[in-house]
Amino acid sequence: MDNLTPESILVHSDDIVSREIEGELIIVPIASGIGDMEDELYTLNETGRSIWERIDGKRSLQNITGDLAEEYSATPDIIMKDVVGLAEELLKRKILVIKG
Amino acid sequence: MTGFIGPETRIQDFSLWDKMKSTRRVLSFDLEITARCNNDCHHCYINLPAGDKRAREQELTLSEIERIASEAVKLGAFWVLITGGEPLLRPDFPEIYISLKRKGLLVSVFTNATMIQKEHVDLFLKYPPRDIEVSVYGATKETYEKVTGSPGSFDAFERGLKLLVDSGVRVRLKAMALRSNLHELPAISVFCRKYTKDYYRFDPLLHLRFDGDAKRNAGIIAERLTPEEIVTIEQADSERFGSLQKNCDKLINENFCHTGCDHLFHCGAGNGSFSVSYDGKFRLCSSLWAPETMYDFRTGTLHDAWVNTVPRVRELRSRDPEFLKTCRRCPLINLCLWCPAHSYLETGAMDACVEYFCQVAHARAAALGYKGPGPYTHESRTDTIGEL
Repeated sequence: MDNLTPESILVHSDDIVSREIEGELIIVPIASGIGDMEDELYTLNETGRSIWERIDGKRSLQNITGDLAEEYSATPDIIMKDVVGLAEELLKRKILVIKG
Repeated sequence: MTGFIGPETRIQDFSLWDKMKSTRRVLSFDLEITARCNNDCHHCYINLPAGDKRAREQELTLSEIERIASEAVKLGAFWVLITGGEPLLRPDFPEIYISLKRKGLLVSVFTNATMIQKEHVDLFLKYPPRDIEVSVYGATKETYEKVTGSPGSFDAFERGLKLLVDSGVRVRLKAMALRSNLHELPAISVFCRKYTKDYYRFDPLLHLRFDGDAKRNAGIIAERLTPEEIVTIEQADSERFGSLQKNCDKLINENFCHTGCDHLFHCGAGNGSFSVSYDGKFRLCSSLWAPETMYDFRTGTLHDAWVNTVPRVRELRSRDPEFLKTCRRCPLINLCLWCPAHSYLETGAMDACVEYFCQVAHARAAALGYKGPGPYTHESRTDTIGEL
């Protein structure tokens, strides 16, 4: 994604609702254009969820990476790759949007 | 692919449902946002006049609906059906619809389509429903309006349906098989298949009104088909009859005769779903109107109803010996319209036998090859178990 940088700040789209059911995070599209099918729902695995929960429209991808690297005692470069990878996936599906 | 996000998941394949079912979660609920309707169908169990002031005043407000829906979502609900009456009679329908969508609910809507405007289509295109289900009462103006009792309703219905379908809104069609439209059922089927590729379904089983209105109940009874007519139209629909044949072993349950159980409820009422009446009553299903089974949302919470009322109602038992040796033991229960809710609407008791239901069930069973005894009579069905 060309316009995604470590300084990018992302926010959850207004056109989705995230819900927790039975310990799972479920993303429910509510408007057209999210996903390809009207019956589609999305789930995130544990790592994806820890990134998702830090995407709050305030923190940059770099900040989120630093936060996760500290929590999981991992190398920031590897974490950043995961954070950007997930962000790209969710941007493509319009589940996340770039703020500003 | 990062592997963080699960693959797109069709909701019917979602493994979470199994987990939810095992924990007595709420999965879905029906929301009757009005009992009023702009049509005056003879067979309808709920319709009150569109201008009924008292009924309108009793309707749940948007904020009451939001409170109930929020509670339902907190208990796990994923689906809601907005129904009526005619839901589009409410000027705040768009606000109700969006509010439910914004809670993360998948929303279905039942409508007669006569009031569909471009604003509704725009709303459904921007915030797609799970589906819109439209009732088709006839394929011609004459028959349609004979059923609806509303001049001009056929043109309004066709205009609304076309608006929805041409815009690409997902529409499913259904029909009630009635005395007034029986001659036109094949034409209704052709009409429906012209508008949608989805399987259209018809329902020949009419139950009585929630308010017990004797005059209107007589009208419903007059619209009922005979058991033979019901079997004939079911057999004429190869898809429907094929499904009945395929599930025959589940529909006719010989083991049911031996349970000796006196519980009234053997259905799924209150198991994962509930219904909200237009005036704020919690019910285990949309047909259940026995006062002792309802709970008032206006003075209580869904949590209370779910945790206390549902188990109490499902624990209700029959002490009627006649019922216990007939309907309660009948292997045809899954082919029968009988249930505690419909029994109450017919007789005022939740454990009464209803002869018409019994005749229909036996006619359907015979069509499926059941060689048991004929329609229920007090003398013939005391302890005879049929054979397949």
